[in-house]
Amino acid sequence: MIDHDVHLLAAAYAINAVDDADRASFEAHLGTCELCRAEVDEFRAIHSSMAQTQAVSPPPALKGRVLDEINRTRQMSPSVRQLPPALHRATGRSKWAAAALIAAAALLVVVGVSVLTRNDASDPFATELAMVMEQPDARMVELDEQPSDAGRFKVAWSETLQRAVVIGEDLGAAPAGKAYELWLITPSASMAMHVLDPASDGNVHASFDMPQAPAKWAITVEPESGTEVATGDIIFIGSVA
Amino acid sequence: MSDAGAPHESDQRVRRLRWRNPNEARHRTSDVINAATALDPTADLPQIESDVELLRRVARGDQAAFAQLYDLLAPMVHGVALKVVRDPSQSEEVTQEVFVELWRTATRFDASRASVRTWAAMVAHRRAVDRVRSEQASRRRDDREALMATPTHDPVVAEVESSIDQYRVRKAMNALTATQREAVELAYFGGYTYREVAVLLNVPEGTIKTRIRDGMIKLRDELGGGA
Repeated sequence: MIDHDVHLLAAAYAINAVDDADRASFEAHLGTCELCRAEVDEFRAIHSSMAQTQAVSPPPALKGRVLDEINRTRQMSPSVRQLPPALHRATGRSKWAAAALIAAAALLVVVGVSVLTRNDASDPFATELAMVMEQPDARMVELDEQPSDAGRFKVAWSETLQRAVVIGEDLGAAPAGKAYELWLITPSASMAMHVLDPASDGNVHASFDMPQAPAKWAITVEPESGTEVATGDIIFIGSVA
Repeated sequence: MSDAGAPHESDQRVRRLRWRNPNEARHRTSDVINAATALDPTADLPQIESDVELLRRVARGDQAAFAQLYDLLAPMVHGVALKVVRDPSQSEEVTQEVFVELWRTATRFDASRASVRTWAAMVAHRRAVDRVRSEQASRRRDDREALMATPTHDPVVAEVESSIDQYRVRKAMNALTATQREAVELAYFGGYTYREVAVLLNVPEGTIKTRIRDGMIKLRDELGGGA
């Protein structure tokens, strides 16, 4: 999914020189591209110098109006960690809420009790998992093995949050120089999401930004550096109902 | 664009001001600075309390700290709003919106990603651009004139404070090719999307995207450290 044209937009995006459609597609890309995120922050640093060249004091009366308005304006609650902008959108309880609770319960069993305390900073994955599962639109699927590889994978995600977590258990070690790779499959594309390297106990925990709503999740075996285009057979797959 | 002709003086600010106003007599430049520092003790010591500290207090609901932050940031915020939006009363509305947003979201400011000034300038630019785009259907602006128009710089203090940035930005802008500069200025100060810039300049969109990118890379390299 490397699209060089998309990367080129970082500069225009950083100075708001994109329309709404470009902004939306670039922000989806930002969710998966750390390089672009870093680049946007760097480009944004020019804002203060550029704006300062235009400095003009506003009419003195404006200050009173601003102070009056903030006196009547509640501040946002701080985020427990830095959240993607998508989270700032209003969310309502969805029909998935009940399913999410069940899924959360299932996942909590897998990961352990530490997840229950969201502020447990000692376990970043537990925090990530809790954050995803707290969303009203949290979903989860268990992937089926094809044909009969050892182990299990579960993926949970929230479209509101644009984050997903993957949990693997009882996995055999990948062949030398190889690793498991997780794919997000939509009707039009397959996107590499995360390279998974099981710990010695056969478990994998990972969390990642999710650029689009999935239709399916799949796991292949790929070179351990990861790949943008799947080369191995699908060994686990799960469809989103 | 060299200040090699300037006399040896320890005060960088004086040299930069002189560079900016090459025709101005020496004693007048110094007078401006003395007047500015006398009027505003923070003019020479940029921030007594760092803006990050102020913002932390703002995030805890401290309205007095917010008033101080307003004084620090209002000329920059209002200036960029005025430059992009142009209409004075709409620019004031945008400035007010920006400060209310800064107040509301101070609780979520992430100092690891941007300085307070950069953050405020970003919010200001975004709000100004949004205002212009929502007005677009009903209001035609003269694109070229928008770039050339110079806002009325009344307060001496704002002049002195911004002169360093003006020097740096002008120097950085000089590193761009003429076509890169044109594209970046139309996008930044004109508030146009790269697609609109392409139409205005009658150049393919891909070319404009590249010009903005290449220009921004140069600006970033020249200005990045001072953000």
